[in-house]
Amino acid sequence: MRTPCALLSLGLLIAVGTLAAAEDPFADLERPKSDDPFADLEGAKPAEKKPNETPVKNRPIESKGFFEDNFTIKKEVYGAVTWSDHAAKPRDFYSRQSVGFEILKKFSTRSATVASFNVQGRLVRRDNFLDTPFDAEGRERDGFFFEYHNLYWDFYNVLNPVLGDAKGDHVGRFNFRLGRFYLPFGLNLQTDTHGSLLQLSNDRNFGFERDWYAGLWGSLNQDLNYDFYYLLGAGYDLSFKGQKGLVGTRVSLANKYSIEHGVEAGLAFLYGERLSWHALEHSASVERDSEGNKIVDTLRLGLDFRYTRTVPTGSLVFTNELSLGKDENDEVFTQLHQLGYLNRSRKFGFDVQYRRFFQNMILGAPSLGGAHAPASSKTDASVIGEFTWYFRNDLGNTNLHWIKVNVERETEYHQKRKLDTKLTVQYYRYW
Amino acid sequence: MNKLLLSAVFGLLLLAQQAWGAIGCTLSNPAQDLKYLFPEMTSYKEDAREFGKIKEGEKHFKNLKVRLGSDLDPVYETYETPYTVYTVFKGETVIGIVHGVNVPGKGGVIQVFVSADPTTGEIKRAFFQRIESPAAKQLKSKEFLAQFNGVTLADLYKHDYYKVADPKSEKDKLGNLQPPANLDEKGKPDYEASLRGIRKNLILLDLFVFEQKAEPFYQRAQESIAKFNAEAKTGEAEAKTEPKSEAKSE
Repeated sequence: MRTPCALLSLGLLIAVGTLAAAEDPFADLERPKSDDPFADLEGAKPAEKKPNETPVKNRPIESKGFFEDNFTIKKEVYGAVTWSDHAAKPRDFYSRQSVGFEILKKFSTRSATVASFNVQGRLVRRDNFLDTPFDAEGRERDGFFFEYHNLYWDFYNVLNPVLGDAKGDHVGRFNFRLGRFYLPFGLNLQTDTHGSLLQLSNDRNFGFERDWYAGLWGSLNQDLNYDFYYLLGAGYDLSFKGQKGLVGTRVSLANKYSIEHGVEAGLAFLYGERLSWHALEHSASVERDSEGNKIVDTLRLGLDFRYTRTVPTGSLVFTNELSLGKDENDEVFTQLHQLGYLNRSRKFGFDVQYRRFFQNMILGAPSLGGAHAPASSKTDASVIGEFTWYFRNDLGNTNLHWIKVNVERETEYHQKRKLDTKLTVQYYRYW
Repeated sequence: MNKLLLSAVFGLLLLAQQAWGAIGCTLSNPAQDLKYLFPEMTSYKEDAREFGKIKEGEKHFKNLKVRLGSDLDPVYETYETPYTVYTVFKGETVIGIVHGVNVPGKGGVIQVFVSADPTTGEIKRAFFQRIESPAAKQLKSKEFLAQFNGVTLADLYKHDYYKVADPKSEKDKLGNLQPPANLDEKGKPDYEASLRGIRKNLILLDLFVFEQKAEPFYQRAQESIAKFNAEAKTGEAEAKTEPKSEAKSE
């Protein structure tokens, strides 16, 4: 009796199975009675893991070579020509052509990224140099010149060895930077002006936008970031010529304000001595007070603010930098205001910038015959308009390709002469 | 001297052809952001990924388009676009993987990040770092984003099948996915773009970190959809022929 029952049961099972198979294309798989075509694949769940599915945390760390592991090299081509209203002949245009590279390398242990290195270099060819905001360092570099821009190391979470169990509470708080990078003043630390024609204030304010320095940076708390450095005050050359250097610090809004509200802002302070022929050239009183060397007593307090707002066709960016302070005994007040628009397609944009640098030379400057300089001779100011056509304009600046047309019109100049107008056309590619 | 410098620069340019790409859709402040996601973390590691530098990169890039089910954007989704994967540690143990992608929305770019379980690949949390959209507020709502918690890439592939073959299946984790409350017509394209961003993010994570463990689900889903459609077609054809035979018998 048992045998017929067993056969009947088997027959029923086969029949049910056949029915199930008719409805379920996955009946041949691990769970034949299921109508779920993925049933046999669910073994990937932790409880039913296949032998070859090792959790990531237990996998051996891949061994990669130096150039395969977080190593980036970028190439750059930069060509610009500038025509000036002051040129004797129309053919006397300033030509600045270069090829360059940038290397970024990150170093990691098994469980942490501990350091990174960045270097930018360019071989530049300059002919008929003209003073322009985008090439403040080029004056004495006619012909071929190989120049470096960024050249620095970042070491992350450097206090971990002494923080012990508390290191988890201070991730991102104590990072150490060593080398040449943007001054911790104004928006430059968070703005890449490496390839752009429009620059921020620091070049004109200090005579250089980058300096050699060492110090700490990171997050103070959820709302604020900080930068605190000793700077050499030398600008381009890594040199001591008797200057004491500068102490620079900036406190800025945490990046979440930029992401969530489009707002970036900072308050910066810079104090000490710097080398600057540029400051001497712009002020006879600074030249006198610096006593024959190029060392300039420097004090600056700066406020910066940038607001990015999405509009129906793209985005608008309002940029502002203000600084107040002294070069030797001269009072210095600088301002920069910029409005930019980038189309939603990221294929074109335009900017308008107004920059003004005021310097109040003290009474009795010998070269001025002991009199106050007239107001017009103490100020440099200009309005710059720029249109950009982008062929590539990646969000993270990883791939850039554009043509820019830039017109600068001086509105004030620190010496008496006819105000100039300059037209610049730039081709730039970074990839 | 100048010739030497020229040679050095062009040498580096040539070397660049073989070099490894880097900075992609990155967290704006990794330490803070990761600490917020994983309060117990003690360290994190960044890894750069790029199609051009992985084995069979071109094939995987084409596959991305197919698995996404839509064309790739020429600005945000190129072959050269780099990506950054953050691996989060507590001591020596991996406690999370975080990865972000850019997708084009109607109002501009949408940066979609997910933090994922390092073992299962399940989303622990999805969030927007940047979203240029008239519906940004609605899309960033916790209620909307919480629906993705626990979802895997396999779930998304399975959803492709269930929405065709069995839309009411309880096994479809995404069957009850609801758009954000108060989402108007203007916000719908960015809602779709956000879903696409999450899918793209998981596809890339599967490739970069999880050794394509969801790939069998994709293959199975496609096979099953094809089979279902073929059977449906056959059923329709039979349904059409039945009345005729009935008429004949009459």
